[in-house]
Amino acid sequence: MKTWSRRRIETILLALLSIAAVIPFRFFTETHVCFLSEMSCICLLLGLAVLFQSWCKRFRHARHVTSISIGCLCVTPVFFGVIARAFGTPIPFEMSALTTFGAMSLGLAVADATPRIWSLSLVSSGFLVLFCAAISDDPKAVVFPLVWMLGCVWHLVANRWERLDLAMPESVERTWSLRPRIILMASMVLGIGVYAIKDRSPSSKPFEFGFMPTSGGSGWSDPAARSGVGTGEQAIAAKDHAESFGAVDSDIFLESNESTLFDMFNDSLGPPKMKKNVWERRQGMNNDNVIPMHENAARTDQGTGGFSTDRLPAKKHTHAKNVRSNDVVQWDGPTGIRLAMQRYDTFDGHEWSQSENLSHSALTRIDIADAPWFFDPASRDSFLSAPEAVSVGLLKIIGLNSQRLPVPMLTAGIHIKAIDRRDFFAISEDGCFFMPGRKKVPPLTIVHVANARLTEDEIREHLHVKHGLMKSTPDLHGLEPVTAKMIDDIVQSAGVDNLNPLDQLATCIGQLRSDFTFERNTKDTASTLTEFLQSHRGGDHLFATTAALIAEKLGLTSRLVTGFYVRPESYEITAGHACVLPEDVHVWTEVQLDDGRWFEIEPTPGYLPPYYEPSLGLMARQFAVAHWPLMLTLACCLVSSYFTRRLWVDYLLWAVWYLSGWLKPRQRIRLAVKIIETRARVAGSARPVGKSQRAWLEDLVQPDSRVATAAKRFADSADSLFFGHGYDLAHQDAMELVRLLRVRTIMALNHKVTQ
Amino acid sequence: MTMTETHSSLSGTQWHGVNSHVASLQTFLRSVLLGKDKQIDMVIACLLARGHLLLDDLPGTGKTTLAKAIADAIQGQLARVQCTPDLMPADITGFSIFNQKTRDFEFNPGPVFADVLLSDEINRTTPRTQSAMLEAMAERQVTIDGKPHSLSPAFFVIATQNPIDSHGAYPLPEAQLDRFAIRLKIGYPDREAQRQILSREVHSLGNNNDSVDKPSISLDDLQRLQQQVRQVTVHPRVTEYLIDLVEASRTDISVNLGVSPRGMMQWQAMAQAWAILNKRDFVTPCDIIEVAYPVLSVRLITQGEATDDVIARILNQVKPPEYK
Repeated sequence: MKTWSRRRIETILLALLSIAAVIPFRFFTETHVCFLSEMSCICLLLGLAVLFQSWCKRFRHARHVTSISIGCLCVTPVFFGVIARAFGTPIPFEMSALTTFGAMSLGLAVADATPRIWSLSLVSSGFLVLFCAAISDDPKAVVFPLVWMLGCVWHLVANRWERLDLAMPESVERTWSLRPRIILMASMVLGIGVYAIKDRSPSSKPFEFGFMPTSGGSGWSDPAARSGVGTGEQAIAAKDHAESFGAVDSDIFLESNESTLFDMFNDSLGPPKMKKNVWERRQGMNNDNVIPMHENAARTDQGTGGFSTDRLPAKKHTHAKNVRSNDVVQWDGPTGIRLAMQRYDTFDGHEWSQSENLSHSALTRIDIADAPWFFDPASRDSFLSAPEAVSVGLLKIIGLNSQRLPVPMLTAGIHIKAIDRRDFFAISEDGCFFMPGRKKVPPLTIVHVANARLTEDEIREHLHVKHGLMKSTPDLHGLEPVTAKMIDDIVQSAGVDNLNPLDQLATCIGQLRSDFTFERNTKDTASTLTEFLQSHRGGDHLFATTAALIAEKLGLTSRLVTGFYVRPESYEITAGHACVLPEDVHVWTEVQLDDGRWFEIEPTPGYLPPYYEPSLGLMARQFAVAHWPLMLTLACCLVSSYFTRRLWVDYLLWAVWYLSGWLKPRQRIRLAVKIIETRARVAGSARPVGKSQRAWLEDLVQPDSRVATAAKRFADSADSLFFGHGYDLAHQDAMELVRLLRVRTIMALNHKVTQ
Repeated sequence: MTMTETHSSLSGTQWHGVNSHVASLQTFLRSVLLGKDKQIDMVIACLLARGHLLLDDLPGTGKTTLAKAIADAIQGQLARVQCTPDLMPADITGFSIFNQKTRDFEFNPGPVFADVLLSDEINRTTPRTQSAMLEAMAERQVTIDGKPHSLSPAFFVIATQNPIDSHGAYPLPEAQLDRFAIRLKIGYPDREAQRQILSREVHSLGNNNDSVDKPSISLDDLQRLQQQVRQVTVHPRVTEYLIDLVEASRTDISVNLGVSPRGMMQWQAMAQAWAILNKRDFVTPCDIIEVAYPVLSVRLITQGEATDDVIARILNQVKPPEYK
């Protein structure tokens, strides 16, 4: 059995792909040092096993070293699981199990065993890839099984082909493009299959949260579960209505004396009355949800229960009254986004105000999975028609002194657990969600926010210049002529005459972001728009105003938005949320599409611009437009290379042959055979696997007597050298045949045969 | 470059003798049986490999003519047995008869003691009589009345059978078949050969091969040739290839009975003889493949699938050794 057969290499690659499918689950949620060490160790052991397997004949103990390496490879994830837990950065058990599965699959593939063992490796790696895709909530996870399936199709086709080729050599077409064609067809079938079921995927998701402790996929995991039971405190807290009662793993919640939202909105309870000697969370719970044992456990943890002989170091304990959290809100969702609080659509040259009344007092209630959601009637229909384009974030109100809810753009609905009354929510006149009749949103309220995703394709489709709205410079919001002129200069200097509105806007905003400097609260900060445009320095409100005016100048409807910016660096992995501080207050701009939706733009440098994901088609078009000379040249080169491939291959092989004069006769004959076979393959006359080289060569050159004579001499010499007494007869014969049997000669011979 | 210029296991003189004998045999037999060069080469290879030949063909295709020509070529004694259902084993092997004058049993040798035995339509005789030739073909001796009798060292059996007459025919048992080295089908000659046959018939009044000199090969020369065939080199990789093929014949799903070790030895001997015919003193994978069809067709027992198809599949399943 060959050490490095094609079957084996392909099996190893597929096993590696299966391990790669586990990486997205682990990389972003685990300690990088530990994870990278584990992966490095697996790679190292794989390399060792492979290396010593190749050296089996050179070293006496190479086989033992290989076996030991493979054994270690299989248990590496378990080993690192134990080590990581001991160092306080535990790896979830199921992640270790999945990685072990992948490592064993890799070990089976590397083991110098029978093809049946490799088949087992193939099956296990396939299972792992499919399972990982099944438990992932990331749509991109489907890439792994797709790639794996294509690789597997390639692998199986090659194996079957090999067998078929042996059994029926005359029936098998042997051209270089057949296998890629089969792969292309397989990928097309897969693509059609995926397209056919794409609308069903959300409803047929096989595994929900909780199937595995961290089976929320790549985007969600429970740190409490990840850490194990620990002292029990977090586990108990996580068990009961965690999402209704706030950040259960935070000291703020556990020690809070404030009434919960549940207490406040539950009419039957009335004002909260603090009961003595009653577990504090019980006050906000129905009796059904109270587990007395937990109360005891909690009290035991506080040292008021029994006496234990086990002494643990005193846990750092902070009472809520001593805790000073500066967070305004905490946001569990994508970072680098903006949470809008208030919007203004009219600018008089100095101040922004809201003119249009967008208020709604009666939101539409829709129950989704037994949870009451309240939707803005204006955007409900478009929202419900495309549920796959919806993302849900979690907003934890901590210290927000406002009745408005800071939510991302295109937010259509909100949900707070157990809140089923419509009058708790309303839409303000500027289109923001708020809680009417209250001074502020109660602290520790957790709001589920559903907002629609917007793609770049949609923006390009729906963003149109309203020519009636396009204002001449002096009329622009009654600005001072100097200011209006400077706005006009920015637009003109961007050179945006012939571009798409979005490109025009992006160019202008890009110029604003690059030419102007963001400064807030310094003595040099511009206080007026004119100063800002002159000094190129100022606060984000001036950037936003300028951007809005530029949009207006371009004929687009714009408005100013105030709210908070969620800094990417504020995300805490262990807590699972980003902290939004008072200094994260921010001002930006929104532009309206022709279907009524608004999308935001970020003119202020230092803040991440919003990302509108383009489709693959759009990306391809954009790339082609941006690099068309290069693409055209590349395409021409590829096409010409394809059509002249025989020539190039022939020249290359001839060069190799020409340079190989120093080889020994045996090596030179071997090279000559390789060259001739490669040429024949390029010419579409590859040698059938079961045919001897001599017989194939004689059949190939039969129509031409001159080449046939040379081929006969060559084969005689090669036979003598390799199967006879090994005497050197072959130099000149080989030289002559390699010179005569070029690609075009082989093609001409084929042509003669077919004629 | 000719093989005589190489450093081979045979000396230059030996090579010259081998080549000239083989060439004269080829020339003579080709003149007898027109248009069948490949079959004639195979017959010569069979003769050189000390095998026996089973001709499986239609009537009138030159089977008997070929047998006579071979006997002529090696200057050996030809005996012909026309196999019929009432043919007895003693009719082939011979028998002891009581001589009243000498008051003793005298051995009366049968046709098996000839140098070349032509057993015509062998499948028409009973299995009992067919099996009388088992010992003779395998061991070149016969045991009569408990006494072993050696046969001619150049003993060569050419058996013919008619594939289309199935009535009253006794198919050869597997053990009998395995003692033949090859099975050949001569087949009808092509148009040009038929034209030559007719032309020669008109001009030479039936003396078909008078114009060609008979080869001057004695039985001793033949034995020497046969010994030289055994000296032909078989490279270990070629041996491995042969073993792979034999094992593939045993494991093929359509084969009831694959190649036996005896068959394997005959296959190798045939390949060696084929190498000699191609003026080589070593066997190449091509030699193994060239002789595979006649060697395997006599001994592969298939489950109804055409034997040639099975042989093609076996040959395609095993990769021949390459120039590496």
